[in-house]
Amino acid sequence: MKLNWFTRKGIIYWPVSIIGWVIFSIAVIIAIYAFIIIDLRSHSVSDTLINFVFNFLIIGLCYTIIAWFTEGRSNTDTTKS
Amino acid sequence: MEDREEFLKQMENLNVPDINTSGHQHSVKMAIMNSERSAALGVWLVIVPCYFLLCVLMYYYFHVHVGWFGSMFKLMSGLEKTPYIDFMGPLVLFVLPLICVVINVLAILHVHVQKPDEHRSKARELSFTIKIKPFNILLIAISLIIVFIFINYVITENISIKN
Repeated sequence: MKLNWFTRKGIIYWPVSIIGWVIFSIAVIIAIYAFIIIDLRSHSVSDTLINFVFNFLIIGLCYTIIAWFTEGRSNTDTTKS
Repeated sequence: MEDREEFLKQMENLNVPDINTSGHQHSVKMAIMNSERSAALGVWLVIVPCYFLLCVLMYYYFHVHVGWFGSMFKLMSGLEKTPYIDFMGPLVLFVLPLICVVINVLAILHVHVQKPDEHRSKARELSFTIKIKPFNILLIAISLIIVFIFINYVITENISIKN
C-alpha cells in the first residue's frame, strides 16, 4: 500500500496530508514537552540545551523514519550503463 | 516496367544503417532503494553518534574542557544506568550507523547474476556494480568509522576490566 503523507525537500520531510500534519504536530508537541521537562530539572541554560539537543535529534530521527516509510514516491531509481 | 527497375535500383543503393552491437549489452541497472531517500535518512541516523563523538573528540583530544562536551558524557553514562533506556548507548553508536550502512549500500549497489551462455561463458557470473554517489559513499564511510570506534571502545573496555 502506497501512502502519501510526506514529501521530501533535502533531508527534511514535510507533511502533505492531514495524517502527516498530525504526526508532525505530535513530534513538535513532544519536543516542546521534552524541553519544558528538561528545563524544569536543569540548573543552567547549557544544561537544558545539552539534554534538549540529544532529545531533539532522537525525536527528529523517529519522525524521519515514519516519514521515510510513508513518503509518496517510488522506492527505486535506475541507471543505464 | 521502368518504374520497377528504378525501384529495384533504388533499393539496391539504399544505405544500410550501421548497427553497433555493443549497444545491446547495455542494461537497466536497478538499485533496490532510492539513493537520495537513503541519504536523507542516513544523515539523521549518523547525526546523533556524530554529535556524541564530536563532544568526545573536543573534550579529550583537543582539550576543550567546556561544560557542554563534558555534560554529554554524563548524559550518555546516565542513560546506561537508567533502567529501560540502558540500550540507548549501543543503539545510537552501533545499530543506527549499521542501518545507515545497509540502506546506503542497497542504494548504490547493483548485483546481477549472468546465466550460463553458449556464446560467452559456460559458468555463471556474478557482477557487482557500484554507482558513484559521493554523498551515499560518504555516509557509508562515516557510519563504518563510528561502528569501528564503538567496537574498538568495547574491546578496550573489556580488556581493561579483565586486567
